[in-house]
Amino acid sequence: MTALKKPRSIIQPVSFCAGCGHAIIQRLIAECIEELGLQDQIIACCDIACSEWSLDALDYDFIAGPHGRIAAVATGIKKVRPDKIVYAHAGDGSSYVIGLTETCYAAIRDVPITMIVVNNACLGMTGGQMNLATTLLGDKTSSSPYGRSKDSTGHPVDMLKLIQNLDVQFAARGALFDPRHIEETKRYIKKGFENQVSKKGFSVIEVLSPCPTNWNLSPVDAMKKIREENTKVFPLGIYVDREERGTGCG
Amino acid sequence: MDDKYVLLKGNEAIAEAALRAGCRFYAGYPITPQSEILEYMSANMEKNGGVFYQAENEIAGMSMLFGAAAAGARVMSSSSGPGFDLMQEEISYLSSNGIPAVLVNAMRYGTGDGEITAGQDSYWLTTRGGGHGDSRQIVFAPASVDECAQLTYLAFDLAEKYRNVVIILTDGAVSQMIEKCRLPGRKEHDIDQFDWTLSGKPLGAKKNKLNNMTNIIGHSDYQKYLFEKYAEMFENEQRWESLGVEDAELLLVAYGISSRVCKTAVMEGRKKGIKLGLIRPITVWPFPRKAFEKIPDSVKGFVTVEMCVATQLGLDVELTSKGRRALYSYLTGVNIPTAEGILAFCESILSGKQKPTEVF
Ligand SMILES: Cc1ncc(C[n+]2csc(CCOP(=O)(O)OP(=O)(O)O)c2C)c(N)n1
Ligand code: SF4
Repeated sequence: MTALKKPRSIIQPVSFCAGCGHAIIQRLIAECIEELGLQDQIIACCDIACSEWSLDALDYDFIAGPHGRIAAVATGIKKVRPDKIVYAHAGDGSSYVIGLTETCYAAIRDVPITMIVVNNACLGMTGGQMNLATTLLGDKTSSSPYGRSKDSTGHPVDMLKLIQNLDVQFAARGALFDPRHIEETKRYIKKGFENQVSKKGFSVIEVLSPCPTNWNLSPVDAMKKIREENTKVFPLGIYVDREERGTGCG
Repeated sequence: MDDKYVLLKGNEAIAEAALRAGCRFYAGYPITPQSEILEYMSANMEKNGGVFYQAENEIAGMSMLFGAAAAGARVMSSSSGPGFDLMQEEISYLSSNGIPAVLVNAMRYGTGDGEITAGQDSYWLTTRGGGHGDSRQIVFAPASVDECAQLTYLAFDLAEKYRNVVIILTDGAVSQMIEKCRLPGRKEHDIDQFDWTLSGKPLGAKKNKLNNMTNIIGHSDYQKYLFEKYAEMFENEQRWESLGVEDAELLLVAYGISSRVCKTAVMEGRKKGIKLGLIRPITVWPFPRKAFEKIPDSVKGFVTVEMCVATQLGLDVELTSKGRRALYSYLTGVNIPTAEGILAFCESILSGKQKPTEVF
């Protein structure tokens, strides 16, 4: 049995709340980077929301973009330093709501960056308000106290289905509720980085991720909710892999 | 500097000077009257080894710019009116990180969609704006195509010197006029010149964390750093041109297109025995207070000439003169002022028929 080694890129204790999926994702990112030997050429981008907790924790050059603009910020960086590996780690509010335009146009331009979108079904940083793109119908949040209603707020949207139509390199959705799914998510993230190494196009990996703090659930119950409810609206799997010319779910 | 003159539009002179200054990243969204900058960049940026993006909107363009500048490139974007409004968020982020960038605001007239023609009513937004928070931007106000080129070229150096945003403030007239102009020499910028950039360094090497600078150096150091930087810019970067100040009875104060008309008014006035002078701010932030240090006793009042509804430039003149002279504002709104109009206004001041202007 091999001992679990902490990636060398992680240089500070985790700052996320207990049971937060962002922390697992941060670790997966660092593991993928080191397993691919890319740790000496990373430029990392986070949003000013919860992903910003990664900024000091990882030993990379790092920038926190304006809320929602991370795909555009990463685009600017990648174009100036095309030989570096540029990734973006942002929330679903950032990537799919306030910054949907920026995300879609980075995808349309097929900018060779790796984008990791944390779908925690709420706006985590500001107190778990409803996320127009990802909060499930009926779910209570601090801004949908009676449960999200389709009449006034529309419905959650599988944005990977939208991105699927934009001719990107890779789009996949993973989850974190058991080791098998964590491994699968890691494979997707790694694929996203490999695509950049081999100078391919835009890769996006969305991860269904618990926010126990704002969901008012224990970390275990939060994982259970994702497995039983969120995966029904947001199916897991590969949506686009241009290399395989494959489309999985969706 | 090339010795020979070329004929260019103001917008083209800005774009070409930027390329010659080593600007290698442009992102913007079309809006009149500055679209020629974007178009010029679309035709010439890649030839110069740079990156051109027509952005999906001004916020996205500015965010790309934020990333590109953070990665070390010399960057530019340009807009006008409602587009310049959308750029404010990222100006604030550039400021909070001390990332240099050169922006152009070619003023069009009016609130809302307004007019696509010249205006000077975004003076406050440009000199006092910069989005939320306490930032200052160096703002150049060229009055000729030649100055468009020279000031844009200089803007890149100052942006880097102070790690600050520098804005070229033109208007629908200066940006569109075709005039002779000298172009500055070509230089290349090294993206690794500065140690604060994102360059993708090896593990263990000291990293740059571009975030609010407060988070990096602490609030009190940050406040001190910013205050001292703004004070230094204010002290060192005031630029202006004066004409006929020594014996003037009335001192016109105007920048950009209005200042050109004021020059004619000064000449014509003097032919008629009306002694006018002119102070033309070349930087509107920092406002050239030094130009007002030695105002002769002959001067009875300051007269701003602006394409506004209510005076904006007058605020800076009041702050400078501290009430020592009366302020009058000749406000022409959507119309470019005429020398005759300015002279008639000045004559009515001198004959006691004009009440001083209030700034509000
Ligand atoms: C323009 C702007 N609007 C609003 C905010 C406030 N704000 C900060 S983070 C955030 C939501 C973050 O949600 P998400 O992007 O899903 O990330 P999470 O915190 O859940 O990881 C909001 C609304 C802001 N910083 N900027
Ligand atoms: S608020 Fe939610 S998303 Fe943010 S760190 Fe805490 S658990 Fe994670």
